[in-house]
Amino acid sequence: MVMEKPQPWLMRLPPSTAHEWRRSIDHPQNPQHIQPPRTNQRVQKDPEACLHKRRLPDPNTAPPEPDKIKGRETEKRRTVTPNPQRRVLTTRGTTAPSEGTRRCTTGYSGVHNKIEKYTHTKKKKKKKKKTIQIHNAMGLGFLASRTIRPASRLLQSHNSNFFLRTIVSKPELQSPESAAVSEPEPPTQILPPRNPVGGARVHFSNPEDAIEVFVDGYAVKVPKGFTVLQACEVAGVDIPRFCYHSRLSIAGNCRMCLVEVEKSPKPVASCAMPALPGMKIKTDTPIAKKAREGVMEFLLMNHPLDCPICDQGGECDLQDQSMAFGSDRGRFTEMKRSVVDKNLGPLVKTVMTRCIQCTRCVRFASEVAGVQDLGILGRGSGEEIGTYVEKLMTSELSGNVIDICPVGALTSKPFAFKARNWELKATETIDVSDAVGSNIRVDSRGPEVMRIIPRLNEDINEEWISDKTRFCYDGLKRQRLSDPMIRDSDGRFKAVSWRDALAVVGDIIHQVKPDEIVGVAGQLSDAESMMVLKDFVNRMGSDNVWCEGTAAGVDADLRYSYLMNTSISGLENADLFLLIGTQPRVEAAMVNARICKTVRASNAKVGYVGPPAEFNYDCKHLGTGPDTLKEIAEGRHPFCAALKNAKNPAIIVGAGLFNRTDKNAILSSVESIAQANNVVRPDWNGLNFLLQYAAQAAALDLGLIQQSAKALESAKFVYLMGADDVDVDKIPKDAFVVYQGHHGDKAVYRANVILPASAFTEKEGTYENTEGFTQQTVPAVPTVGDARDDWKIVRALSEVSGVKLPYNSIEGVRSRIKSVAPNLVHTDEREPAAFGPSLKPECKETMGTTPFQAVVENFYMTNSITRASKIMAQCSAVLLKK
Amino acid sequence: MAAPFTLRKIGVPPNSANLTEARRRVFDFFRAACRSIPTIMDIYNLQDIVAPSQLRYAISAQIRNNAHITDPKVIDLLIFKGMEELTDIVDHAKQRHHIIGQYVVGEGLVQNTGNKDQGKTDFLKNFYTSNYF
Repeated sequence: MVMEKPQPWLMRLPPSTAHEWRRSIDHPQNPQHIQPPRTNQRVQKDPEACLHKRRLPDPNTAPPEPDKIKGRETEKRRTVTPNPQRRVLTTRGTTAPSEGTRRCTTGYSGVHNKIEKYTHTKKKKKKKKKTIQIHNAMGLGFLASRTIRPASRLLQSHNSNFFLRTIVSKPELQSPESAAVSEPEPPTQILPPRNPVGGARVHFSNPEDAIEVFVDGYAVKVPKGFTVLQACEVAGVDIPRFCYHSRLSIAGNCRMCLVEVEKSPKPVASCAMPALPGMKIKTDTPIAKKAREGVMEFLLMNHPLDCPICDQGGECDLQDQSMAFGSDRGRFTEMKRSVVDKNLGPLVKTVMTRCIQCTRCVRFASEVAGVQDLGILGRGSGEEIGTYVEKLMTSELSGNVIDICPVGALTSKPFAFKARNWELKATETIDVSDAVGSNIRVDSRGPEVMRIIPRLNEDINEEWISDKTRFCYDGLKRQRLSDPMIRDSDGRFKAVSWRDALAVVGDIIHQVKPDEIVGVAGQLSDAESMMVLKDFVNRMGSDNVWCEGTAAGVDADLRYSYLMNTSISGLENADLFLLIGTQPRVEAAMVNARICKTVRASNAKVGYVGPPAEFNYDCKHLGTGPDTLKEIAEGRHPFCAALKNAKNPAIIVGAGLFNRTDKNAILSSVESIAQANNVVRPDWNGLNFLLQYAAQAAALDLGLIQQSAKALESAKFVYLMGADDVDVDKIPKDAFVVYQGHHGDKAVYRANVILPASAFTEKEGTYENTEGFTQQTVPAVPTVGDARDDWKIVRALSEVSGVKLPYNSIEGVRSRIKSVAPNLVHTDEREPAAFGPSLKPECKETMGTTPFQAVVENFYMTNSITRASKIMAQCSAVLLKK
Repeated sequence: MAAPFTLRKIGVPPNSANLTEARRRVFDFFRAACRSIPTIMDIYNLQDIVAPSQLRYAISAQIRNNAHITDPKVIDLLIFKGMEELTDIVDHAKQRHHIIGQYVVGEGLVQNTGNKDQGKTDFLKNFYTSNYF
């Protein structure tokens, strides 16, 4: 048997089973090797007879022309708006390429199964196929990537490159001269079309600069700066990796992504190697497979046997990749090392023994979160990830390291030991804790929400969510209103039936004058319920219905005056930010993450006007109040020079300024700044308003504005639909207050009648985020007790009160919304503002002198759900900077 | 325990041909139930609680609740269930508090809820029942 010199980096495990023998380098179906004599095989001895199993290509037919080969469609331009739910593969830069959440480990199972088919053993071993939970994270593209991997297809394809080897050894193969003779050209074959992994779309920033590489014989066109791993992703090949993450910088320290590149002396780390034109990349050769087995063996050497008690079991990258790519036995007989656990706060549970030192968390904390809390200490097997000093992770994005960590080293502390991932039902919905509308996936078990995970949306939140979004779910279980209640004469609440409660409210509403009826929608209300509330209050003859957060005098005529006109993803193209009266870190953490990304990628300048606040990027504090604004508007401030030189300036005004009395003057001065510095142009609109609440944008679109400031004080009938931030003291003592909501928060104590409603995880509602992107929540768990949907309660109340509204189904409500604000019916679409600031009339008021106030004191407790949450209480006690 | 012979012949084979036959069966069932009222009052000692006419009223109210049904098969099934219930009661398989709670119309006990929802729309009726409709 001819053996070549064993390469030192290829660890040859002694083939212990026939299955292993198949995968090792000496197997006959692996090319270029001669098979030693074998005893137990079913292969027929007659070499000619074996050929019937493989149909060789007919030499008489010509190979098909290249242009008929489908699949080279990576350059096809899309004419429709790109779907933000699909990942974008771009070269590294401001728009970093994306990867699905790490739970999407798809093609691995295919390899394992196909290899099984070719074992020649006497007894058929029953290998259990590892079922990998299909998470509905990626949509249909997911299914596309589960097609048979090309490696296996080659093995069973009928017109194979590799002719079937017979048992007999030929003299030509033994002599060295024949090796120099080049192989005959394999006939060109029609390779089936390949889609990028996970249905991602490839973004060519410079279409002339595309290069062509070959992945497993398949030619793909990739943009210039792509790495080998990204090129393989475009070709539909999912290369295993631990340390590489598409949104973080490249580390290249796990070595799991090793692939073989032709004419390279050793396998290359595909995550770090740039793809050069004409490169031939092979991902399924024995060298690559051996490398993966080796890396896996090394990683598992010091990894504790924690799978039964580890929360990551079932969704662990290490588990999946070791099943797919690792060998089935190890050779480690010494003691495993262990590492002391670090305390990172009440949110992130650390078991550092499980850490494989991939440094994803370190890179995330320093790049995306902007805090350099984590680092690697020590070298070699003594490496530890930690904060070195006894420091907690106080960043508002700290929960994302839980998703990023490929093993169970960093897990969610509130979710520890609560559930396994296969018993959870995933529902894709929208978060309402702030105005960003991050896409989330709610994992529930029965009637209980177990955890919240981010979902990919390139335009809004990429793959991250803030801590408040992630951990507020346990507030959904406490302080819930479940039965209608009426306050007795002795002041205590008594549970009644819906009939009685609605009858009482319907009676009282007719005893007050129309002008004294006031309706206030809360910050978590969906568009449907706000529409029905407005219709009902209007039919009762009153015009006083508004949403929390919009003070009197805010007009919603022009949409640009309350939306983020540069979309959230458009902020990446800005090179200067002027933040006025807003602290994005606590108001909208995802917008802050985007600003941080832009600052980091292109060194954008940030100027901030407002009370002293913490920023996780370099930011110049220009001033605290309207005086600074006046200086900038008149050009006296030193920051104006930077403003003039910026190509794409972005001004972000906080919605907290809407509550000021001099709001019109401030807004007009902001607009004059915008005009002077060419901020609003046809191709770039940099004037943005950052809203505070999830319901605000939809409310302003539907027309729920406060007409008069004194409406609440002269009210006799107040209908609070989830409105907890209303100043309860302003309501007169003899007013009849109806509270409709899901938590017994502040306003309930003033209410006379309580009507229980459903929370955002239990209803299907339309929410518009601060950039005008309309999204819908999906019910994940059933409603609590006797609660109903908000809009249904108001519709039933209208019927009991005698002013029956003309619709009685959600479609009816939506067609009503369509006649008022049609953009709210077009879900998953962003409707930009139609007109710019030029239409606004001149403002004659003068600005006050009170400095801008911080809008959010406690980041962790801003709405009724978070105030009822124990985790949020722990966070605010421990993690807030005093 | 065996049902008394009065009830034996009212076993309902589930195949009323038409509405008339189903109606006839309903009335037969009602008659059988009324005939068992003295036995019931004796078994459960309801003499001081309720008068036979009130029990008759309760039975007829329950039948009237389903007066709007026109499908003979559905009527058959309802009669079957009614017979089941009647047999249980006559067999002493229930207890006194069951009978009082379910069939004695009085203060705070079984109320006739058929009339309240007459004028309301489907939306409101569904709304009062549950959130999912």
